[in-house]
Amino acid sequence: MKNTVKARKPVSSQSKFIFFCLLPAILMVGMFTFYPFFRGIGMAFQNYTLFDLTDIHFIGLDNFKTIFEQPQFLQALSNSFYWVFVSLIFQFVIGFILALLLKKPFKGRGVYQGFIFYSWAMSGFLIGIIWRWMLNGQIGVINDLLLKVGLIEERIGFLSDPKWSLASVIVANVWYGIAFFAIMLLAALQSIPDDLYESAGIDGANWFHKLFYVTIPYIMPTIIASTLLRVIWIFNFPDIIYAMTNGGPAGSTHILATYMMDKIMFGGDYGQAGAAGVIMIILLAMYTIFYLTATKSGKGADF
Amino acid sequence: MVRTKRMALFVLTCVMLTSMVMSGCGSSSKDSNDSASKGGGTVTLKMIESLTSPERTEVLKKMLGEFEQQNPGIKVELISPPLQNADTKIATMLAAKEDLDVLEVRDITAKQFVTNKFIEDLKAYTSKWENYKTLNDSAKMSANYIDNTPYYIPYGLYQKILFYRKDFFDAKGLTPPATWQEVYEKGKALTDPAQNRYGYAYRGGAGGDNFTLMITQAFNADQINPDDSMFLKDGKTIFSTPESKQAMDLFTKIYQEASPKDSTNWAFSETVESFVSGVTAMLINDPDVIAVTKEKMKEGTWATAPIPLGPTGKAPRFVGAAGWGMTSYSKHKEEAWKLIEFLSNPDQNLVFAKAVGLIPIHTTAAEDEFFKKGAYQPFIDMNSKSDQYFMMRDATDYKGYGESKKIAVEDNQALILNQRSVDDVLKNWDKYWTDQKANQKK
Amino acid sequence: MKHRLQSLGISLKVLFLSLFLIVMVFPLYWITITSLKPSDEIFSIPLQYWPAHITFDNFINIFNISNFHIYIMNSLIVSLTASLVVLMIAVLSAYVLARYHFKGNKQIMYAFFLTQMIPAFIGFAPLYIMMSHFGLLNKLYSLMIVYTAGLIPFCTIMLRGFFQRIPSSLEEAAMIDGCSRLSALLRVILPVMLPGIAATFIFAFVQNWNELFLSIMFIDQESSKTIPVAINGFITKFNIDWGPMSAGAVLSVIPTIIIFAFCQKMIVGGLTQGAEKG
Repeated sequence: MKNTVKARKPVSSQSKFIFFCLLPAILMVGMFTFYPFFRGIGMAFQNYTLFDLTDIHFIGLDNFKTIFEQPQFLQALSNSFYWVFVSLIFQFVIGFILALLLKKPFKGRGVYQGFIFYSWAMSGFLIGIIWRWMLNGQIGVINDLLLKVGLIEERIGFLSDPKWSLASVIVANVWYGIAFFAIMLLAALQSIPDDLYESAGIDGANWFHKLFYVTIPYIMPTIIASTLLRVIWIFNFPDIIYAMTNGGPAGSTHILATYMMDKIMFGGDYGQAGAAGVIMIILLAMYTIFYLTATKSGKGADF
Repeated sequence: MVRTKRMALFVLTCVMLTSMVMSGCGSSSKDSNDSASKGGGTVTLKMIESLTSPERTEVLKKMLGEFEQQNPGIKVELISPPLQNADTKIATMLAAKEDLDVLEVRDITAKQFVTNKFIEDLKAYTSKWENYKTLNDSAKMSANYIDNTPYYIPYGLYQKILFYRKDFFDAKGLTPPATWQEVYEKGKALTDPAQNRYGYAYRGGAGGDNFTLMITQAFNADQINPDDSMFLKDGKTIFSTPESKQAMDLFTKIYQEASPKDSTNWAFSETVESFVSGVTAMLINDPDVIAVTKEKMKEGTWATAPIPLGPTGKAPRFVGAAGWGMTSYSKHKEEAWKLIEFLSNPDQNLVFAKAVGLIPIHTTAAEDEFFKKGAYQPFIDMNSKSDQYFMMRDATDYKGYGESKKIAVEDNQALILNQRSVDDVLKNWDKYWTDQKANQKK
Repeated sequence: MKHRLQSLGISLKVLFLSLFLIVMVFPLYWITITSLKPSDEIFSIPLQYWPAHITFDNFINIFNISNFHIYIMNSLIVSLTASLVVLMIAVLSAYVLARYHFKGNKQIMYAFFLTQMIPAFIGFAPLYIMMSHFGLLNKLYSLMIVYTAGLIPFCTIMLRGFFQRIPSSLEEAAMIDGCSRLSALLRVILPVMLPGIAATFIFAFVQNWNELFLSIMFIDQESSKTIPVAINGFITKFNIDWGPMSAGAVLSVIPTIIIFAFCQKMIVGGLTQGAEKG
């Protein structure tokens, strides 16, 4: 008798504790994220345009059909791919090298880190504006510098020539994202216990061996988690492109995120924008499942 | 038991803290609404502008200050969202029936606002308005553009003119171009990439659709249906004719041989900047550029001329307008009209038109020296030759109008960069507008 | 031989680090220089790499013409409050999700992870209409609410990771000593997790400080505008007003740089703690 009371009491107080701790988070996220999100998904199947809000009705998959027929959408789709993976590879590689170089303390390391990590704390919109200013075809400082050094003879229209535009916005994005990887990887590197290296050192391992057999395996969970999250964020990140080119010229810098924004800002077409959004989520979900299976890191949300 | 209570208390405090931020302040906003409607009969009008710029907002605020002085019972709260997202914000506010009384209505947004019953029919007010009679024809036409009903009162009119560098033209012994062909020829003659000088400020980016349309319509001027300007009198689109191909070929040559390479993605600001800084010698644009050229360029280095003609000596054109309207759900319609009436009276409109650089809306302004001479001269010239420079009705009635602008810009960029052929692009536009017409009839 | 290799390695390292420093700092340098130039010098060719006449007019103007001091205050209030509130909520949910096995634990984590994939604009209009319906628009707290809600999932995911690194023996010991579950959390675990919490806070602050689109849509009046909106306002139909725009940009970057300079040790330290295998 005494025992059962004792056993029941903790259970009920524990579930109360769990309930009350989760309540604010679930309430807020449910109301301000999921409710609008589901409504937005609903719009994807509706004829929902600002042009005529008096005529909203369900149209099945018509919005999806319409956007799949648009060459701009297909271009945005392939651009998204380049935008995400080229940005990611450069951000990661440079960030990793940087983290390796910063691992050992040296004089002025703190100040140095302050100066190279700040880009991460700026808004994408502002970064886009600054790079647009520097890459300007007429009075941009980058053209001026390249002319001075003698690398080019004629000003390049970085943002007006479709040959250059996508590369230009990716450069700005790489610049922005290096700090993120450098910080995450530096933190992971510093968590490696020294004795791991010591035992490897005794076996006569050189620097490359240490890197590939000790360092990288140890920080693999961080690498997987940060690249996974990063891909999702870059994919969903219209700010830099919105500020630099707004998708132009000739749609050469549109990614799905800016394409969707455009549908709202220019077309006022929430239906098609919603359809694009649904496609984006499906792509990301597929990617996440594939990535986690491929890396065998089954715990999807373990960060 | 005590533990559970304490724990629950703590969590509850957290929840309450967050909900206090929400609800606590929510109630305070209701209070302020109540006090506004009760408090001593003061009415607060909410007004939103769309074509925002810091300078224009200053002018507007001064005018609103005067209005408040003359009407002690009315206060005006001006909302000035950043230009890029202003129309999206206005439409969203209207859709949510957010408090709003007076709003900036543009020719391109009017149809949408009317269809959704966002804005009020002003006939009841204009019929009693003494200054309605003095509105000029273009202003009256713009006000009554949708369903022959005055849904807004324009604050000014936009019509395109040609700006040119008088000094460059004089140095080469050239006269300003009268036709599109001359824009090409003279533009090419003035182009010298080594000096970073080009003939024409090509607008390849946002808003570039206005110019591809302008030249296509000029080339089709004899067959076009002025009341339905994307179409010919026989009902086909203007993009279906051999003339439209000639037009787009010429326009592509103007880009490739007489304009800066960079201009593929130029929008309003870049074209104006290039003209003001002496990179380009010709610019076709709205009268609000006059305020900029006057401020930033030396007198005598620039001048204006009528827009270029097509091969048959005609240049059909639009009159653009933006103005003030009233929300259909405003709780203070009388006061809102008072404000619109004030902003639209001949004196205030003259102040605004001069400051922003617009064609004023009242006939009385024609007597003002400011608009008779110099940069504004071409408007008077064009208006006096109304068979050559005849007016058309823009295609804002069509659902796909907004989207068509985006498509036109992107297709044209692909065209001038030799990624797509003229035939291909024109076929696309032809199909787009044929579909629009078919859907319209449903 | 080995010695020469080593010194080669060091000079390569120095070379890479200095090159990288230049690349990272140059945009900041350039926008600062632009903000100190008189307006005619901004567009003059040849480009001036150091202003011929240094002027603070752009800075004076943004305080005189637009109410920049108000925007700075608003941004500070909104960002700080929202970050603190989100931290409070996320600590509770993350703790529970890390420590207890209960039905729905996994589903909540999946749902939170899913929020990271949602494109920002998909729910824009419904969110606006809902906020309008409840009279929640056009106040500083409007932004606080949506910013808080928007960051809860990520901060929970991040903090949950930190909680998992801390051995549960720690609070079990405390609870045996007579602490309640909550006070064990507050008195024993949180102090240990401080660096991780600081890192999460800074992340939240930076996000809030920079947010643009929601702020444009939800705020009407001057007195509640935030810095990003004000900066965006310098893009007009005629041109981008580079002078005041760059002055505003410099001012908006300063606080985040200061935070980073002072706290980067804590951020890296906090994340290190998170990466350590528990």
